[in-house]
Amino acid sequence: MSGDPWIWIGAVLTLMIFSFLYKDNPFYKFGEHLFVGVANGYYIVYYWHNALKPNLFEPLSAGQFLYVVPLLLGLLYFTRFIPRISWLVRIPIGFTIGWGAGLSIPAYFQADVLRQLEGTVVTPATFSNTLHGIYAVIILIGVACTLIYFYFSREHKGVLGSASKLGIMFIMIGFGASFGYTVMARVSLLIGRIQFLLGPWLGLID
Amino acid sequence: MKRRLPLAICFIMGLVMIVQFFIPHPTSLAFSSVIYKWIIVLMAFALVLAIGNLIRHHGEKIRRRKEDWPYSIVTLAGMVAMAAIGLTWGIASDSLYQKIFLNVMAPLGGTMFALLAYYMASAAYRAFRARSLEATLLLVSAFIVMIGFMPFGQYLHPRFPAFAEWIMTVPNMASQRGILLGVAFGSIATALKIILGIERSWLGGKD
Amino acid sequence: MKWYDRIATIDRRIIYVLLTVLVILPFFVKVTIPQKIMPQTQKLFDFIESIPPNDRAVMISFDYSPQTQPECHPMAKALLKHCFARDIPVIGLSFDPEAPGLAVDALVSVEREIDSLATRKEDSIVYGVDYVYLGWKSGRIAAQLDMGEAIAGVFPRDYYGNLIDSLPLMQNVKNYKDIAIVVILAAADYPIDWIRYPQTRYGVKVAAGLTAVMAPQYYPFLQTGQVSGLMSGMKGAAEYEKLVLEHGYACALGTAETGMNSQSMIHLLIMLFIILGNVGYFFARRAGKAPR
Repeated sequence: MSGDPWIWIGAVLTLMIFSFLYKDNPFYKFGEHLFVGVANGYYIVYYWHNALKPNLFEPLSAGQFLYVVPLLLGLLYFTRFIPRISWLVRIPIGFTIGWGAGLSIPAYFQADVLRQLEGTVVTPATFSNTLHGIYAVIILIGVACTLIYFYFSREHKGVLGSASKLGIMFIMIGFGASFGYTVMARVSLLIGRIQFLLGPWLGLID
Repeated sequence: MKRRLPLAICFIMGLVMIVQFFIPHPTSLAFSSVIYKWIIVLMAFALVLAIGNLIRHHGEKIRRRKEDWPYSIVTLAGMVAMAAIGLTWGIASDSLYQKIFLNVMAPLGGTMFALLAYYMASAAYRAFRARSLEATLLLVSAFIVMIGFMPFGQYLHPRFPAFAEWIMTVPNMASQRGILLGVAFGSIATALKIILGIERSWLGGKD
Repeated sequence: MKWYDRIATIDRRIIYVLLTVLVILPFFVKVTIPQKIMPQTQKLFDFIESIPPNDRAVMISFDYSPQTQPECHPMAKALLKHCFARDIPVIGLSFDPEAPGLAVDALVSVEREIDSLATRKEDSIVYGVDYVYLGWKSGRIAAQLDMGEAIAGVFPRDYYGNLIDSLPLMQNVKNYKDIAIVVILAAADYPIDWIRYPQTRYGVKVAAGLTAVMAPQYYPFLQTGQVSGLMSGMKGAAEYEKLVLEHGYACALGTAETGMNSQSMIHLLIMLFIILGNVGYFFARRAGKAPR
């Protein structure tokens, strides 16, 4: 068993959270609230050390006065707490939202639309390997039918209805695969905590 | 003024960013670089604002003695202590700040997510029923992936892992791509609506 | 209560106990089942293998939090061992605010491990020469794009507060032209931003190490070549650990490989319970008790 007080703190806190499996209790609540507090305290340090200090206050103090603009815009966020002028918070929000929206249009178009369509197109060259050619056709059908399933502007009848039905089958296979992967992920996290309790804390495994 | 000014700023910024994407001229790049640096600062302020909201929420809970208010003291005390330690003694790899992160924050956060393994197992057992063709497909696909990607899968049949990989790279990929394309079209449309001032929910409030 | 009702309504506490026992048991029964390497893990490994030593750097974006540490932390350590063993400079950075603590832990622990085995001074790892950790930055997309012009413009100081220009490694790494690949280790949709923005604009090569929850969404990007390699969850980490060990870049396997036996047991248990639930449902439906 470990003699390191830090390991003991980690182990006790781990058990506090695990106690929720029995039922909600004060130990769990304490751990949960402590986490939120410590995490936010942790963020504050980075906001200062890794962002505001090197990317705003140091350039400002070095005479780069253009940084007054983001400083003022940033301070406008806090008008949210002053009801009389709280509308001013819309200025930095408008600035960042407009920036993000403008930037995203060509980026989505290129990375998510053009490149993905390029990867879906079936050409005679795709059949240089017959098996891969067949897979490419399945992919093309799957992509088209999935898109049709999410197309709600027309009633899903006739050809559209059949395609939409095929689409939901592809989606279900995809969701099933995602579920399989999710099981893997969640179990991994439990394994990680058990490894900690059995290893560093109890010293039962390497 | 209260709505038009932010909408105008949003429109101009949106338009400028679309245009600069197609003009990789040094002046355009230098201009974008200035904007990027401003955004980095603005985002940091937005995050500080989130901390402000958290303090306000828990402060209010303590002041009004709402249910479970003593736990709000734990949150605020934890936050102040952690921030003070990091800002006073630094964030080096052997600092107290890093020790608290690894031995307090990491076990708490890690275990909260580890609980999900139990809930997921229990929920899958209770809710995962082959009620229809669609549900059966989901179930079968999940089983193939769960068996195929584990080391024991190859003993069931040597080709089993390859089959699981095929599920991922062909039908799963097709559905994921379909969803991805749908989301991309939706995102582009929303971005356009935001820039043109058709989508205004981000303004909030009435006036 | 009929037998089929009973098997479909097992108490959750029994499931919890069985789950716990089956996670613990494999740690004491040493069975090593050989791992098959997934093609996308091999692809990432091969890419790192193809980078010439002391040439362009590998940028690792540590974007996972303690919540997903068991999946991504072993990936980070295995990847770092691979890069350091091949004398490939490493530039670390983070955009998830919970990640820097883990990034520092991964970097420092791998550095110590290599230093403890080093017989010559040049075999040991030196901060600022072999690797740099830039720290965390707000405004992820803006930062990613601006690094295409100058990394120092976004990160004027590293995590420890040193001026970037004072670090020897950063004299040779100015922007993406000096980066062979960016590997994003993430528990959220961070890699997609790298694909949409810096890759579209600057042609940056992108690979990822993701939690298993995220991985299926990235198959479309793997097929188009927008992602040059992928580690998926603890399995991906275990595979990379195995590759690194087999090529002599490490002396022992990491924590992911040892966890894979528990993973197998739990998969079997969950499948067994799902089957039990369905058998119960099927017979209850035949008896006209369960809804169709």
